[in-house]
Amino acid sequence: MGEHLLSWLTFAPTVGALLLLAARLLLAATEETIRRLALAVSLVPLGLCGPMLVTFDPATSGPQMVERIPWIRFFGFNVDYFVGVDGVSLWLVVLSALLVPVSIVISWRAIERHVLEFHIFLLLLETGVIGVFVALDMFLFFIFWEVMLVPMYFLIGIWGYERRIYAAVKFIIYTMVGSALMLAAIISLYYLNGGVTFDIPAIAGNVRAGRLVLDPRTERWLFWGFALAFLIKVPLFPFHTWLPDAHVEAPTAGSVILAGILLKMGGYGLLRFNLPLFPRATEEFAGLLGALAVISIIYGALVSLVQPDLKKLIAYSSVSHMGFVVLGIVARTEMGMQGAIFQMLSHGIATSALFMIAGILSERRHTRLIAEFGGLARPMPVFSALFGILALASAALPTLSGFVGEFLVLVGTYTSGLAPGRVYTVLAATAMILSAAYMLWTLERVLFGAITREENRHLPDVNARERLALVPMAVLVIVMGVLPNPILRRTDSAVLELQRAAPRTILVHWTPPAPRARERLALPGAEVLERR
Amino acid sequence: MESLGISYRAIGPELVLAVTGVLVMLLEAFSPGRKRRDGILAAAGTVLAGGMALALWDEGPLLAFSRMIIVDGFRVFFTVVILLGTLLTIFISWTFLDEERIPPGEYFALLLFGAVGMTLLVASNDLVMVFLALETITIATYVLAGYRREDLRSMESALKYFILGAFSSAFLVYGIALVYGATRTTNLAEMARLVSGSLGRAEVVLLMAGVAMLLVGFGFKVATVPFHVWTPDVYEGAPTPVTAFLSTAPKAAGFAAFLRVFSLTFAPLGIGSVADQLASHWVAVVTAMSILSMTFGNFIAIAQTNIKRMLAYSSIAHAGYVLIGVLARDWAAVAFYLLVYTIMNLGCFAIVALWARRGDERVAIADYAGLGFRQPMLSFPLAIFLVSLAGFPGTAGFIAKFWLFKSAWGAGFPELVLIGVLNTVVSVYYYLYVVIVMFFREPKEEVARVPLSRAFVATLVVAVAGVFYLGLLPTRVFAILNAAQHLLAVGMR
Repeated sequence: MGEHLLSWLTFAPTVGALLLLAARLLLAATEETIRRLALAVSLVPLGLCGPMLVTFDPATSGPQMVERIPWIRFFGFNVDYFVGVDGVSLWLVVLSALLVPVSIVISWRAIERHVLEFHIFLLLLETGVIGVFVALDMFLFFIFWEVMLVPMYFLIGIWGYERRIYAAVKFIIYTMVGSALMLAAIISLYYLNGGVTFDIPAIAGNVRAGRLVLDPRTERWLFWGFALAFLIKVPLFPFHTWLPDAHVEAPTAGSVILAGILLKMGGYGLLRFNLPLFPRATEEFAGLLGALAVISIIYGALVSLVQPDLKKLIAYSSVSHMGFVVLGIVARTEMGMQGAIFQMLSHGIATSALFMIAGILSERRHTRLIAEFGGLARPMPVFSALFGILALASAALPTLSGFVGEFLVLVGTYTSGLAPGRVYTVLAATAMILSAAYMLWTLERVLFGAITREENRHLPDVNARERLALVPMAVLVIVMGVLPNPILRRTDSAVLELQRAAPRTILVHWTPPAPRARERLALPGAEVLERR
Repeated sequence: MESLGISYRAIGPELVLAVTGVLVMLLEAFSPGRKRRDGILAAAGTVLAGGMALALWDEGPLLAFSRMIIVDGFRVFFTVVILLGTLLTIFISWTFLDEERIPPGEYFALLLFGAVGMTLLVASNDLVMVFLALETITIATYVLAGYRREDLRSMESALKYFILGAFSSAFLVYGIALVYGATRTTNLAEMARLVSGSLGRAEVVLLMAGVAMLLVGFGFKVATVPFHVWTPDVYEGAPTPVTAFLSTAPKAAGFAAFLRVFSLTFAPLGIGSVADQLASHWVAVVTAMSILSMTFGNFIAIAQTNIKRMLAYSSIAHAGYVLIGVLARDWAAVAFYLLVYTIMNLGCFAIVALWARRGDERVAIADYAGLGFRQPMLSFPLAIFLVSLAGFPGTAGFIAKFWLFKSAWGAGFPELVLIGVLNTVVSVYYYLYVVIVMFFREPKEEVARVPLSRAFVATLVVAVAGVFYLGLLPTRVFAILNAAQHLLAVGMR
């Protein structure tokens, strides 16, 4: 098991899904048994995160716990089953493994129809997302990246709210456009690197060592081929329009996974592909992406300010917070990237928990409109305390997790060589005020004041099961806010490595190779081999 | 290496199929209506023919019957694909024959005679042989398309298929005549040798005209835009198991011939040669056909409300993808794609045929509402086949598409790859629409479950297993194709 730790982590949920199916078909398990079994199964990857964290060596920047098996060969395929974790992916794997059991707990009563299928899809989704974070082969990465869409599509489409079909289709079409172009970029990169491997670290190594030099035009195309897929996923303005629909219509568990994990795949992709593989194009477009990030931050906050629907408000606040992630990444300073990774984790926990809060309210009142509530602090004191902590964490109150991420990003951007880096910092910082404004105002309207609706007077407080899901999240945002170092220490060497690979100011002057006549109808594999 | 004489071994698979077909017909004449016996006999004949084909694996490459028949790795591979399609069609016709009260004997015999034509087409090394094989296919399939005699749509389907098929055959035969006029041969190997040199000016013009005609003829047979108009009507009107057959096996055979004639015989080899001159034209035309087929097929498919028509337009789109492989001149990629396509498309149609019930009662996509959780044995396999057709990773459809796109990029067609990947996004919309209806919509009235026969369940299990096997562990099939590439007849390169 030791040397296959990551494979176990990735595929334990799939095995679990098969177990659930067998339990139903062979033992005619009841729905309650299915839920318990699913929870037990989902705790396995979380448990395996323990040995992973212990084995992980913070001083190593490259991938660790690597497993590599030849998978598809012949006809220049050379695909390996190649997995490993480094500082960038480590905590995202932990986050994924954490949020799935939490989702199962929070959905215990909310999901009444097709319980078996719900949990099977949830577990398959877990395999997909963990696979995305551990895959180190482009082909394998792409498979996980796409496979994960199908269960998510079903989760939104079957268990979602009224406009679920529209939301599910919009989600999948948006994502597919991005990934289709990424597929073309992957194929192209494969040939440019000599048509021998899909190995990401190897290609990145070739780029760094100057063995693989792309001409600027190709590099730009490839940069955008990858970046578009990731920016849609993040989502960055103006590619964000799928997100509010998907979030609002998804069931609580779907929103939790969507906000907690799926959005992170975008930020992760930028760090894993765009920065190390296309340093010059990154340098060229960092200003543009930074501007889009700042727009996302401010736009998301402004739209949140006027949302009457609690779930939509949280969805738009995600656009704002994820903007910080992109800003930190394109700053390409140690602090900026550290902040981006930390912000992904913090957002993954705080925002997921806020979606659970919204889910709890809508389960009790069958409405998500903020105006329907007010004065809930009296009937629901524990709920209110948790909501307060999580909302403030999301609004980046110092000593809570959100602050660490956003602060690091702002400092990292300020000190970066990004042309208008300081302007970006100032603009993004104003959004922190906005986010405090909408979060505090929301707290006020939901929790405080007089009880305006009779139905709210006797709402039951969070029960033991809901506490089981929410309290760990509240504890985590506090711990991460006070003691961020255990996390940052493990991401540091990978980030430094990225910074070296993608320095902010590249002053290497090189002459682009002369354009060569393209040979139409050459045999496969004969396309440009531009190696130095 | 080469033999000019008669070798029955070289046409072993075709002989077995033909004899089985005749036997089934004779048995039907003396004791009619025994579906079980006829079906099992037909299936056994198909399997035996497959075995005969595999036995030819180590024989090739060689030529037989005055160099009209070729034995090489690709013939064997394509023959197996075609026979697999035939076998699965026999199984999925099981329930259908009872429901429609169709005499089983002729039906199975016609399937077998069709298969004879298809396997011969794959084995053809001569344009006359190509024509002969194509006509054998079409005669059998005309009758099959019109098999529900009392149904008007079925008659319309058969008539349309016949008229347009005859029309395209005329183009083809005229093209063959012109090409013969230019090169004084119908033999493909001979022709390949001739066009790799130079010809007189008049001959070149004649050859160009002939090749253009051939392109039209083949374009009709494999249903690519702009020669696709017959497809939706024929696919809709024909009995569903026949549609399943028509959309897979003859297509595989047609593309095999397309490859032999265009990618190999008129291959753009030798700078300044006639072949090179020709290629610069046909490559442009086929590129246009490919782009049009993909785009047109996918966009029109979105608007369909009848699942058979939707799958018909989807098959036009898939023909467009396959043409990418033809342009990239990657035999193995095309062969793999057609294998995968045969499995997933037959799987789809198997479920459509069963769900449609007597007289195509339920073929609107809306009729699938509520199928999802009511009959998971049908809905989940159908969802898997559709997802595979859309090319999601983890399924065979993805590996097949990836290979085509990869080859095309390597061969210098990045624009085709871009158009191809964007087209797959469009196709996701309509394939998943069926999934939406099945799982996310409730039916207006309670729907009756359909009983599943054992043959049917076995077919589904095989097809689903195939989709995942080829999607996750394709290495073994790749190795076979790799070996097949080495077994390509020397005279054909």
